[in-house]
Amino acid sequence: MDETVAEYIRRTVLKIPRDEIKSMLQKWGFLSEAELQTINFHQIKDNISQEVVQLCEENSADIKQAAVLDIIYNHIYPNKRMWSVYQMKKTGEEPEIFDFQSFKKKFKRRLLSALENVTINFREYEDNAIWIRIAWGTPYTKPNQYKPSYVVYHSQTPYVFISASVLKSNMPLLCQALVIASSYHDIQEMELRSRSLNSLKDIVFKRYNQNFKTYCPRPPQERNAEPESADLRIIHENRSEKERIERVTWEIFGDGPQPQLEFAQYKLETMFKSDPKMEVLDKKEPFRCLVKFSSPHLLESLRSLAPAGLADAPLSPLLTCITQKARNNFKIKEKRGFFPGSFVSP
Amino acid sequence: MAAGVTPPRRAAPRWLTGRQFKRRPAGAAPGLSLAMESVDVAVRTLPSIGRLSRGPPFGRAHGRFGFSPSGRPLPPAPRSEENVDLQSTAFLLHKRWTLYSVTPLYKFSDAHLRNYARLLSAFIAAEKQKGLAVEIGIELDIKVAVSSLPDLKGSDQDHAAILVQLLSRSPASSKSSEDKLIWSGWFCCVSGDGFPENLPEDFTCLPLFLANGAESYTSIVGSWFQKTFDCYFRRLAISPLSLSWMAAMWTGCKMGKTASAIELIFSVPSLPQPLDISYAIHPEDAKALWDTVQKTPGEITQEEVDIFMDCLYSHFHRHFKIHLSATKLVKVSTSIASAHCEGTIKFLQSQYLTGVLMLLTELAISQIQ
Repeated sequence: MDETVAEYIRRTVLKIPRDEIKSMLQKWGFLSEAELQTINFHQIKDNISQEVVQLCEENSADIKQAAVLDIIYNHIYPNKRMWSVYQMKKTGEEPEIFDFQSFKKKFKRRLLSALENVTINFREYEDNAIWIRIAWGTPYTKPNQYKPSYVVYHSQTPYVFISASVLKSNMPLLCQALVIASSYHDIQEMELRSRSLNSLKDIVFKRYNQNFKTYCPRPPQERNAEPESADLRIIHENRSEKERIERVTWEIFGDGPQPQLEFAQYKLETMFKSDPKMEVLDKKEPFRCLVKFSSPHLLESLRSLAPAGLADAPLSPLLTCITQKARNNFKIKEKRGFFPGSFVSP
Repeated sequence: MAAGVTPPRRAAPRWLTGRQFKRRPAGAAPGLSLAMESVDVAVRTLPSIGRLSRGPPFGRAHGRFGFSPSGRPLPPAPRSEENVDLQSTAFLLHKRWTLYSVTPLYKFSDAHLRNYARLLSAFIAAEKQKGLAVEIGIELDIKVAVSSLPDLKGSDQDHAAILVQLLSRSPASSKSSEDKLIWSGWFCCVSGDGFPENLPEDFTCLPLFLANGAESYTSIVGSWFQKTFDCYFRRLAISPLSLSWMAAMWTGCKMGKTASAIELIFSVPSLPQPLDISYAIHPEDAKALWDTVQKTPGEITQEEVDIFMDCLYSHFHRHFKIHLSATKLVKVSTSIASAHCEGTIKFLQSQYLTGVLMLLTELAISQIQ
């Protein structure tokens, strides 16, 4: 077995949390159950990985088999990578039956004809998701297994989720291969990125929408009746305003959990407007700004702003349209002839 | 900017307290002192009566920082090269410095810098014996260098800056050219005119201390200075009010085509999921706005800073319906420098170095009084 393969397997096993190693190796299926029994999974990870490499050596594992273990790891821990969303476009309307074998063949052929040195692996999962792992090389060097790109394609949809490696120069080729293999005409990057692959799927497949409005029609004040104070002398001064804010926030965000995004970015090229009395800047050119919101869970954070008193309710449509427009990267320009409160995102 | 930009806060280290510098019942207005003992407390202080002090290149100095409306004199053009040897201060740029205020040093003398280096070196070795050094298991032979930086001062009344450097020499080599700089700290005073009044002769006034390197070394060096010169170090936090002053003033500085954006970072930690907002404005547009706001001839007033910030807040509110004024301004970043409310600063331009130091000196002096 190649030394590089051995090292790659060793490092991949080291990434896995110790309690998960056995089950992941079982999913991998390269080592037999009998062989797995011989490994002591209670020792330190360094030793476990050495034993695994030893067994793989005895079974002459090659790089393609090792790559499958990497796919399994990334499928269970997709949040370690940053994912972008692409949408493919078709001109004709004929529904084509998806043929996995044909897809694989065309995809591989396109890549291999351009680059000899690539490692390509496919793995199909129950939810119709096809995972593709590509390790890129150059005409003169072997593929770099430590910086692979990942593609997740749901064949029933035009959406592709890509976690590219740092080698951005391979993106056009990858996109082309996807389009050819899936019989589409074009592919376009959407302005949507996140570490949470499932949240991206939720947004793009509109899975988050199902939980409110039709499902749970009662607005909050009837459900979350705040325990009335026993003391009638205590009253909430702004009760009606507070309830209005809650209701408006509920109308926008609903009840259920929000898809998880880490950031939203806005490039503003709108005019600066101020109170004319202040005699400040009144330029004819846009006031250029770049605004970025960051949070471990951005949408939950935004949802809590108005109730916390930090924002007006309803929150700006620039923020509330994120899931509906399936984007978290915007360019906002001034819309002509409209009241300054409305903006357009091209 | 990754999520959760603001680093976790921790209370300022509690060092040995030397004999407190006696406060003089000066004629200065009482005013509120900025409570900066723990970096968790960063209050917006009410402006007090007094004048804002400044020296070149940001104008002449008079009173104390953070006070209203008389304002601070306008920043003139960047400092010309002949006054500052840019080479000698280049090493201060592009490093993150942690800020402290220091009470005046008792019986400190420029003639004994070599001695101090020796004594500090011995002290560090002794502390290591006691097991208080940073890295366990690494045998570092630490050399101390103490020098004076004569160019780092504002006016002639200022005491020249004092630089302390910790270098490590690997045991294998004895060549000094292979010494690695592991920690630096410098004391300075830029346009600390008139502070404090009637300073007795034995005291040296260097109220601002900046450190770069491991916290444990800062602690050791600080302890030695406190013991030897009977002074007291305290972490210097920067309030949102001071940060907005910096934003306004640095926006107004003339910068070439390579100017980077004016970036303000706001933090809202108290939500169920913390939120950070980065608001970056194109430097030309920000300066254009500032130039129309800044009308008072010869000085900048608190009112003008407020208007400038309000303009930025309302432009933001127009788009996002969020009240930035209700969040906490934690960091300001421009081509000139970047400052964080925890009390750290990064200098980015040599020619404005003394200007920024002047501001920081004032903040330090405010904290001491």
